[in-house]
Amino acid sequence: MKYFALLRRSAAVCALAGSGVLLISLLGIAPASGQGTAAAPAARAAAAGEPVGDPARGLHKAATCLGCHSIPGYKADFPSVYSVPMIGGQNAKYIENALKAYQKGERRFPSMIATAKSLSDQDIADVAAYFSSQR
Amino acid sequence: MTRFKLHLLVSTVLAAGLFSAGAQARGNADDGKELATKKYACASCHGANFATPIDPSYPKLAGQHQDYIRAALLAYQKGDHPTFGRSNAVMGAQAKPLSSREIDDISAYLASLPPALVLKR
Repeated sequence: MKYFALLRRSAAVCALAGSGVLLISLLGIAPASGQGTAAAPAARAAAAGEPVGDPARGLHKAATCLGCHSIPGYKADFPSVYSVPMIGGQNAKYIENALKAYQKGERRFPSMIATAKSLSDQDIADVAAYFSSQR
Repeated sequence: MTRFKLHLLVSTVLAAGLFSAGAQARGNADDGKELATKKYACASCHGANFATPIDPSYPKLAGQHQDYIRAALLAYQKGDHPTFGRSNAVMGAQAKPLSSREIDDISAYLASLPPALVLKR
């Protein structure tokens, strides 16, 4: 019985991640023409040939993130139960590196791997800029 | 007292203990402060007050959820474990020597600090 409950739960997580991926790709197209509001760290990133994050664009790409990270008291339940981290106001570079680590398999959390793999480098920069801009 | 009443009393006390242990935060923040600021020098990268890391690629930790910090440190300890691990050269080395008691204390301390992070949309 327990096994089936777990199976159902992971199926739900997969479905959630899947729909998030779909949502992200749908949303990703629309705001791409939006104006960039880049500041000082942007110039540094641009100089290094990296995508420049835009918090406004990031908001439109963050629907999947908000579904866990912006719900008070939300806990991840697989592979173990603990609160999902607060990422509002976190350093953008750290968020970018974490997402890329999930993409590369250096961090192994199933729903974050699925989410990270759905993001382009530009998406990652935008989402990181959005969360780091929160105060 | 009948045997039944005694049994009831014992189970009630045990159950109460179990619930309060679950609700109570793990670890000792005062011991954690000693570990995080001195013994393991976590602040030398994560910054004074753990709100101003010395490099933007390092996370702010002040006020982060205790159970998340605990899970992250355990994951760094497990390294390349396919389900629970996190592979990171620096944090892997830092987390390795920590006892589970020390992880509880450090995470209790970091969570107790004035928050550098927010939860909003």
